[in-house]
Amino acid sequence: MTDRTRIALLLAPALLVLAGLFLTGLGLTLLRSFRYLPGLGLTEPDLAAYAAVLTAPGFLRSLALSLWIATASTVIAAVLALAAALLLRQTFPGRTLIAFLVQLNLTIPHIVGAIGILYLVSQSGSFARLAHAAGLISAPAEFPILTHDPYAIGIILLYVWKELPFITLILLANLQTLGEDHEAVARSLGASRWQAFRHVLLPMVLPGLATASALVFAFAFGAYEVPLVLGAHAPKALPVLAWQAWTDTDLASRSEAMAMAVVIAVVGLALLALVARGLRLGGQDAR
Amino acid sequence: MTTLVLDDLRKSYSRAGPAALHGLSLTVASGSLTALLGPSGSGKTTTMKLIAGLIAADSGDIRLGDRSIRDLPPERRGVAMVFQNPLLFPHLTVAGNVGFGLRMRGLPPTRIDASVAEMLDRVRLGDLAQRKPAQLSGGQAQRAALARALILRPEVLLLDEPLSSLDPALRDEMRLLIRTLQRETGITTIVVTHDQAEAVALADRIALLLEGRLVQDDTPQAFYARPATTAVARFFGGVNFIPGTVRDAVFDCAIGPLALPQGLPQGPGLLTIRPESLRLGPGPNLRAAQIVAVDFLGSLTRIDLALDGVALQAMVTPDTARGLSVGARISVSFPPEALWILPH
Repeated sequence: MTDRTRIALLLAPALLVLAGLFLTGLGLTLLRSFRYLPGLGLTEPDLAAYAAVLTAPGFLRSLALSLWIATASTVIAAVLALAAALLLRQTFPGRTLIAFLVQLNLTIPHIVGAIGILYLVSQSGSFARLAHAAGLISAPAEFPILTHDPYAIGIILLYVWKELPFITLILLANLQTLGEDHEAVARSLGASRWQAFRHVLLPMVLPGLATASALVFAFAFGAYEVPLVLGAHAPKALPVLAWQAWTDTDLASRSEAMAMAVVIAVVGLALLALVARGLRLGGQDAR
Repeated sequence: MTTLVLDDLRKSYSRAGPAALHGLSLTVASGSLTALLGPSGSGKTTTMKLIAGLIAADSGDIRLGDRSIRDLPPERRGVAMVFQNPLLFPHLTVAGNVGFGLRMRGLPPTRIDASVAEMLDRVRLGDLAQRKPAQLSGGQAQRAALARALILRPEVLLLDEPLSSLDPALRDEMRLLIRTLQRETGITTIVVTHDQAEAVALADRIALLLEGRLVQDDTPQAFYARPATTAVARFFGGVNFIPGTVRDAVFDCAIGPLALPQGLPQGPGLLTIRPESLRLGPGPNLRAAQIVAVDFLGSLTRIDLALDGVALQAMVTPDTARGLSVGARISVSFPPEALWILPH
């Protein structure tokens, strides 16, 4: 058996799953978003679903909300993860315990976390009652509105809590591979602690940070369950709109759901392509 | 003047474990090239990191000229360090790497570019300025790392095993380059190495560390002719040791009295002679020995001898060794000027 056939055979199961499930699903989604639904007697593909979706009154606000949620939670999680990873790569008493705690919530499903957030920070939640009991506020209802709020604070809070360990883990692995020698060299060449971080360490971890952040962004932009539990009534996040259209009793609105799903996927893919391009350019231009 | 003085430096990495350095005191003359020599674990790299400020000493002082640099951050010590691996910054070009230190100092780009171009020419990397580190060979990367430190004109340059990551063929070239640049710039330089041959070929002076202690600080020649202890003699390839007693200029031992030069310490001691100084054939202090083994090693041949129950080793040229066979008896002489007495 040649090397190439062996590699092809070893990769076959993974490729089969990818092609069979992902690509077929994507293809079917595309067909349906173009209103090709032979079961319903629709055999002439058109752009009516896209037109309906893009011109619907709330669409732009929903798109903006989803972009806001994804951007804010990614940026906050990335900055905090960088700080956490820098701290955790050092040795100090209790480091193992803290590293374990940081990783713990990777195992908790998003929806469970969302319900937890609801119990903790909603106006009838534990924090509101604690603040009331401590005399900080005169009634639980005076607690700031952090869930079902127009700024999506509860959703962002959940995503930051959930994605922070993910980015931290990737950065930590990255930092441990790099070691601290490059910074030591930078210091001995006259760089201050900040300059060594800014001009040596940060550029070296940037590819890993950007890739992890792009994945987090794409997820926060496209997932519907957290905004469904914690989001405001209006505007709704784009994935929630798609979910509602999909579950609508009117079968025709399924095409609109598919069109929205395609819009979400295109934004996510465009972002990943942009990051990949940025990393390539950064690799060429830096000096 | 940039004489570097290490004064009773102590360092332990853990409270329970053994100390890495037990009170190291060493003076490195301004403009000299000193080799810090020792086997792995002897405290060489610890000493370098202490001088560079990458770790803190438990006690003791580090002075450059008349100022203490012990409590200064690394970037304000005037000490640049080149590590065992080149550790070029992968996201910067060769020129970007070499100009790094000057950029950190905030020099204007035009001046940096000029300095970088000049420095790259001196290490013969002029035409690779725009390459990324990943596109360099091991020797090129090490030269770029050297240029990156030298361009800063540091008061002290530290080189940690600069040749160990290179192929043997590239080592001579790099050694010559270090030697030449050091002479041209006159920068006080310390080279860490575990290889005594490398230390001898490179340095004006050698400081030998064994188990966290400085055992001898001397010229390369002195380590062969006048080692301070048996351990030093062994580290430099000494193998012939005969216990006995010095009385006036005579050494009494198992192989009979041997004439010594004047002025050696009296009383019990360990006589040593370099294997390459032991002469096969007639001469002063003549004895008869039996050949135990003859091993051809390339440019030299090793002869193992037995002399009245004492094992000795001689290194001779293959020409001298021609015709010698195991079991034969030959005459061996001990030139008095090659004899040295170690404390026993």
